[in-house]
Amino acid sequence: MADPYKPRAPFAPWDRRELPGLFDVEDSARRVGNYKWAEIKLFEALGGWVATVPELDVKMRLGTHCYKHAWHAELWHKRLPELREMNPDRLTKPANAELEKFVEALTEPEAPELTIEKLVGVYRVFIPHFIAAYTFHKNNTSQITDAPTIRSLNFILQDEFEDWRDGEMLLQSLIETPEEVDRAAAHQAKLSKLMLAAGGIAGPGSIGMPAVHQPVTSSNGS
Amino acid sequence: MRTFFPVEELARDRRFTRITINDRMSDPRTLGGRSDDAVEGAKPKKKNNNNRLVPSRPDASDAARGLMHGIFVGEIQALEGAGRTCHDFAISNIPGSGPSGADSDPLSGNTVPFALKLDMARQAWDEARHVEMSIKLSNWMGTEIGQFAENTVLFEAACSSDPVFRLAGVNRALEGLAIDVFTTMKDFGDIAGDPYLEFCEDWMLADEVTHVKMGSDWLRRVTENDPDRRKKALEFQNVVDKLFSYSGTRSESEESPIGLARRFRELAGFSDAEVDDIAEVSLAALNERKDSVAQMRAAAAKQLSEQLSGV
Repeated sequence: MADPYKPRAPFAPWDRRELPGLFDVEDSARRVGNYKWAEIKLFEALGGWVATVPELDVKMRLGTHCYKHAWHAELWHKRLPELREMNPDRLTKPANAELEKFVEALTEPEAPELTIEKLVGVYRVFIPHFIAAYTFHKNNTSQITDAPTIRSLNFILQDEFEDWRDGEMLLQSLIETPEEVDRAAAHQAKLSKLMLAAGGIAGPGSIGMPAVHQPVTSSNGS
Repeated sequence: MRTFFPVEELARDRRFTRITINDRMSDPRTLGGRSDDAVEGAKPKKKNNNNRLVPSRPDASDAARGLMHGIFVGEIQALEGAGRTCHDFAISNIPGSGPSGADSDPLSGNTVPFALKLDMARQAWDEARHVEMSIKLSNWMGTEIGQFAENTVLFEAACSSDPVFRLAGVNRALEGLAIDVFTTMKDFGDIAGDPYLEFCEDWMLADEVTHVKMGSDWLRRVTENDPDRRKKALEFQNVVDKLFSYSGTRSESEESPIGLARRFRELAGFSDAEVDDIAEVSLAALNERKDSVAQMRAAAAKQLSEQLSGV
């Protein structure tokens, strides 16, 4: 029988989690507040659109996805007080005015003939940006101090990937002509430009700053 | 996207046919009750007044299929209504959280608590699953989508600019009716030896009890300091309850196809007095229908008699 009193390493050899992370408590709270706002806007839009789409299969999927994003908003709502934000409503806000403009444009289509536009906005623009921002957060936050956020991100990302696949497959089944391909692409481009201006779900830096900063050098190169 | 979506614009594919509640109630087949009544003829015989939807009814198959299709379109509208409540109102305490950045509904000034919206989103998911279940059950029973007409009275109850009225009209009155309907269908499946039907109806029943309880809890909480608003909401519920009694289609009388599920209503938070009130309203609606049928038959008999004497 193994000796239970034999000293063991506190971290098992396979446990490679690191202590440092990119975000301090305030940064995390700010991002989480932005996530909550964006998830609220998404579930409200999905719920509102249910009555406006004639396609029965789409109608049912929107109802299902509406709840998933509401649950994400609830997870972020509960996380905020744990990040010292005792008034969760205070940080429940868009990252910037450009993101508000994006949501305004996203929710603009209403007519029953515009199901493609509705789905493109959610599944080809908004949700891919959620996946990007959440993945960046998960990969860069402290794996030990911020484990509760990572746990939520894991659950949420699983939903996001599944919903993205559902939505993309619905779109592929709805788009039947070259003209509809153009319609989808045009709407995607319009919304993507607005999202570009916003810098992502959490504003500029949503997925980090990939550009490498070149050191300043003197004119003679020395 | 607008707030407060008009019922006339509910989006459907071309299989669906829409009628008004007036169309339905003025249909002689609705007023006349069971189809065997229509062939009863002039020969007087002892009339069996039991109309409860049970497998032994001569028209049980058609009636059950029609009711299942009614459940199907009702679930679509319940899904749409819950979705609209997620969308149409700003969240209390979050300025600018309403559609187009509004702080509240511009007409009524109403907002809803964040947790209420979350419950409505959950309800939307439940209703979406109910649509899925009722499509599969309809298919199982040999019915095609659109085979029966749809009336949109349910969604109309979900269109109020006051979210509390929506809770009273939809969650308490309509979902309360759903408890009665699903109990009847569950019993139908049990007696008919159809475990597939009984199994699914039981699951849907569990969700409906949750939705009614949710509505009762929120109605109480949101109107805690506003007794006048609560009173008006409950009055609205009474109106909807009477409307949803479909002229006595649902009551405790055996003459109604759908019974009143007292036990499940109690689980959902209805008091005995509230269930008694609904029973009374439903019975009154049944008696009104019987009076209408009697008048209609008397008029038809008179017309026939006049035509025959004129020949």
